[in-house]
Amino acid sequence: MASIDHKEVAQKTETKGLIGWIDARLPVVQAFEKHMSKYYAPRNFNFWYVFGVLSMVVLVNQLLTGIWLTMNFTPSAEDAFASVEYIMRDVNYGWILRYMHSTGASAFFIVVYLHMFRGLMYGSYQKPRELIWIFGMTIYLVLMAEGFMGYVLPWGQMSYWGANVIVSLFGAIPGIGQDLMVWIQGDYLISGATLNRFFALHVVALPLVLVGLVVLHILALHEVGSNNPDGIEIKKNKDANGIPLDGIPFHPYYTVHDLVAIVVFLFVFCFVLFFMPEMGGYFIEHANFEEANNLKTPDHIAPVWYFTPFFSMLRAVTYPFFGFDAKMWGMIVMGLAIAILFVVPWLDRSPVKSMRYKGWYSRIALLVFVVSFIILGVLGTMIATGPRTALAQICTVLYFAFFFAMPWYTRFEQTTAPPQRVTGRFITIPQLLFSLILLGALTALPLIAVGAEAEVELEHVEVNMKDKASLQSGAATFINYCMGCHSARFSRYQRVATDLEIPEALMEENLLLSPDLNIGDLMISSMPLEASKNWFGAAPPDLSLVARVRSPEWLYGYLKGFYRDESRPFGVNNRVFPNVAMPNVLENLQGDQLPCTEEGCAETIHVEGTGKLSPEEFDKQVYDLVNFLTYLGEPALMHRTTIGAYVLFFLAFLFVFAFMLNREYWKDVH
Amino acid sequence: MNDGAVNKSRRRFLIGSTTLVGAAGGVGAAVPFVGSWSPSAKALAAGAPITIDISRLEAGELLGPMPAWRGQPVFVMRRDEETLASLRDNTAHLADPLSEVPDQQPGYAQNEYRSRKPELMILVGICTHLGCSPKLFAEVQPQDFAPDWKGGFFCPCHGSMFDLAGRVFSGVPAPTNLRVPPHYFASDNVVVVGLDAENS
Repeated sequence: MASIDHKEVAQKTETKGLIGWIDARLPVVQAFEKHMSKYYAPRNFNFWYVFGVLSMVVLVNQLLTGIWLTMNFTPSAEDAFASVEYIMRDVNYGWILRYMHSTGASAFFIVVYLHMFRGLMYGSYQKPRELIWIFGMTIYLVLMAEGFMGYVLPWGQMSYWGANVIVSLFGAIPGIGQDLMVWIQGDYLISGATLNRFFALHVVALPLVLVGLVVLHILALHEVGSNNPDGIEIKKNKDANGIPLDGIPFHPYYTVHDLVAIVVFLFVFCFVLFFMPEMGGYFIEHANFEEANNLKTPDHIAPVWYFTPFFSMLRAVTYPFFGFDAKMWGMIVMGLAIAILFVVPWLDRSPVKSMRYKGWYSRIALLVFVVSFIILGVLGTMIATGPRTALAQICTVLYFAFFFAMPWYTRFEQTTAPPQRVTGRFITIPQLLFSLILLGALTALPLIAVGAEAEVELEHVEVNMKDKASLQSGAATFINYCMGCHSARFSRYQRVATDLEIPEALMEENLLLSPDLNIGDLMISSMPLEASKNWFGAAPPDLSLVARVRSPEWLYGYLKGFYRDESRPFGVNNRVFPNVAMPNVLENLQGDQLPCTEEGCAETIHVEGTGKLSPEEFDKQVYDLVNFLTYLGEPALMHRTTIGAYVLFFLAFLFVFAFMLNREYWKDVH
Repeated sequence: MNDGAVNKSRRRFLIGSTTLVGAAGGVGAAVPFVGSWSPSAKALAAGAPITIDISRLEAGELLGPMPAWRGQPVFVMRRDEETLASLRDNTAHLADPLSEVPDQQPGYAQNEYRSRKPELMILVGICTHLGCSPKLFAEVQPQDFAPDWKGGFFCPCHGSMFDLAGRVFSGVPAPTNLRVPPHYFASDNVVVVGLDAENS
C-alpha cells in the first residue's frame, strides 16, 4: 500500500528543471495546482465576484506604500504633521506614495463593502461557508481598527478629534471607563504617547493580523469551494475524473478574467489619485490639513466616510434606557451593529442561498438594509439636526430589523427551487437600470426630505497652474505682504522658484526675506510667534496649507471682504470671516471699502479715489495671490494631472491587451 | 467545453504582449518607490555649499571647529614652506603622487599640493577605504604605525595613511587619495566649499 502511494505522489509532482528541484523540497507545484490551476471555480461568476481579488490588490498597495511612507514619517506629536507635508513636498514622488495610500484606504473599504454585499446577496455565508464569513468579518473589524489608527497618524485636526471621539467611547463603560481611557491614551488626553502606540499598531501589529486573516479566509474558501450567483454546490455534479461539471480551473480562466477587472479598477483608482485625491473632502478631509490642536475643535467634525454609518447610529441614540445613559447605549448600538454581522450564517434559515431563489421578503429586506446603511452613511457626514436625527433613528431600527427578523422572513417566505446546474443568467439592462434607479430614489428622497446643507455664497475661482505670470505675481504679493507675519513653513524658496520659473538669482536677490537665508531654506517668517500673539490677539497661522483647509473661493472672498468698521481694533472687519484678528494688509492697494447696507447685497462698496489700484486691478492681484496660495497648498498640483493623464492612457492601452486575452480564453467556456 | 480548436500561437502572442505591457506598467509603478530613496529637497538644502572663514587659521593645524559639507568633515589646513618642500620631495611611497585618478579632485587641484593655493589644503576628511575620518598627525616624528613619519593623516579604522596633501600611501587598504571638494576663494579669508567659480 505504502509503495503505491509513493508512486502516485511521484507521478503527480514530476516536474523537471529548477521548478522540479524546488518542488522536491517544497510543494510549490502542488500548492499552485491546489489553489490555482486545479482549483475549480463555478463558471458563472459575475461582476460581483471581482471584489475579493480587488481587495487583495488594495491590500498589497497599502502594504507597499505604507512601508515606504514609514521611511519618512515621524511618529511624534511635534513632527508628525510636518513630516507628512515633508513627504508631500520634499520627498521625491512622496505625494504619489501618500495619495496611493490615502486613496487606497478608501478604495479598500469600497471593495470590501461591495464584497460583503455580494456575500449577503448570494448567501455566501451559509453552510458550509460560515467560517469563511467569520474570517471575513474579522478582517473587516481589523480593517476598521487599522483605518482608524491610520487616520490618526497625519496628526491633523480630524485625526485628533476623531481619535478623541472614538477613544472617549471606551469612557462610556460604567465603572472602569475613565481609567480605561487614560490607559489607552497613555496620557490624560490624546497625545504623542497615543500617536506612538497607534503608529506601532497601524504599521506592525494590525497588518500582521490582517495578512494572517486573509490567508485563513482564502484557505477556508479553497477547502469548501466558491459559492456562485445561483447558490448551488458545483461539487454535487462531477464528471468521471471527479471534476465539477460546472467548474473551470481558476487559472487561467479567472486569472485572465480578474486581470481585466484589476485594470478597470486601477483606472478608476488612478483617476481619483491624480485628479481628485481629496475626493471633495471625503477621502482626505479639509480640516485635516490643519495641525492637531487640543484646545480647539473644528466647527464641523465628521469621521471619514467609511465609518459614517456607525457614527450616525452612535449619534442617533439620544434616550437613556434601563438606567444606562444615551452615551453608553450609543456605544452598545454601534458595537452591536458590527457584532451582529458575525452571526448572519445562523440567522438565515432559508433553504436556498441565493437571492435569485429566495422570496420577496428577503429581497425587500436586503434592499431596505442597503438603503438604510447608505442613508446612515450620508447622514454621518452632515451636522445633526432634528429631522436628520429622526431619520437616522428610523434607519438604525431598519438596519437591526434586517438581522433580527431574518430567522422569520427567511423561513416563512415562498422560495423557488434552484436548478440542478448553474445558469449563465445575467441581470438584464432594464433590470439593472431599474435596480439602480430604485436604490438611488429610495436613498435620495428621505435625505432630501430632511434638508440639504446650507452653504455661504462664494464667488467661483478657477485656479490655473499653467499661468506662470499670475503665480509669479502672487508669489511676490505673498512674500511682500503676507510673509511679514505669516510663514509658509513647509515650502522652500527654491521649489517655488523652480515651479514658478522664477530665476534662482532673482529669487535670491529680491524675494528671500533675509540675506542669511539659503535658497533651499523653508519660507519661515521672521516674526516671533509669541510676540505676534500679543500684537494681534492671535498668532498669524501658517499659510502653507491655507488653500486646502479653506478653499480658493473662500480665500478670494476673504481677501476682498474687508470693510470699514470702527468698532474693531484695526478699524476693519471682514464679511467672510467676521471679527478676524488680521488687519487689511492690502488696504493701500484696495482702498477704503464700506459695509453693504442694502438688502441682499453681497459685496462691499468701494470708496472712489482711494487705493493704488482700480477695483479690477485689485481683483486680479488678489486672484494671483489666491492662485499662488493654491499652488503653495499642494506644489504637486503642478504636475499631478499631467502624470495622471499618462497613467490613464497607459492603463487604457493595457486594458486592450487584458480584454483580448480574457476573450481568447473564455471562448472555451462560452 | 474545450473543442480542441485552440489557436495556440494567438494565445502565446496575447500572453506575451499582455505580460510585456504589464511589466512596463510594473516598471512605471516602481518609479516612485525607487525615486523616493534619492535625497529629498531637505537633504539637498542641507548639502548646499558652505562658507568657511579662514582668517584665524594657524599654520600646521586643522581649522576648528570642524566645518562640514554635506555632513562630512572638511579638513582645512595652512601648510608652511617646510611642509610644502616635504610634499615635493617625499613621493616615493605614494600610490598616486600626481593625482592621476580622476574625480578625486577638480582639475585646478591636480598638482603636487592638490590645492588652488599651495599653502591652503582643503580636503573631504573621509578615508577613501571605508568611510572613517582619518586623524591628523602633523609632526615629523616616529609613530607606532610608521617609524619614518613625515606628517600626515592616519585612519584609525584600517590603518590607511595619507600625507599632508591627502595623497594615499602605497600598501595601505585605501585605494585613492583623499577627495578635494569643489571650492573657490570668495576673498582672501573666505572659502566656499561645494561650489567652484568654474562651474557656478
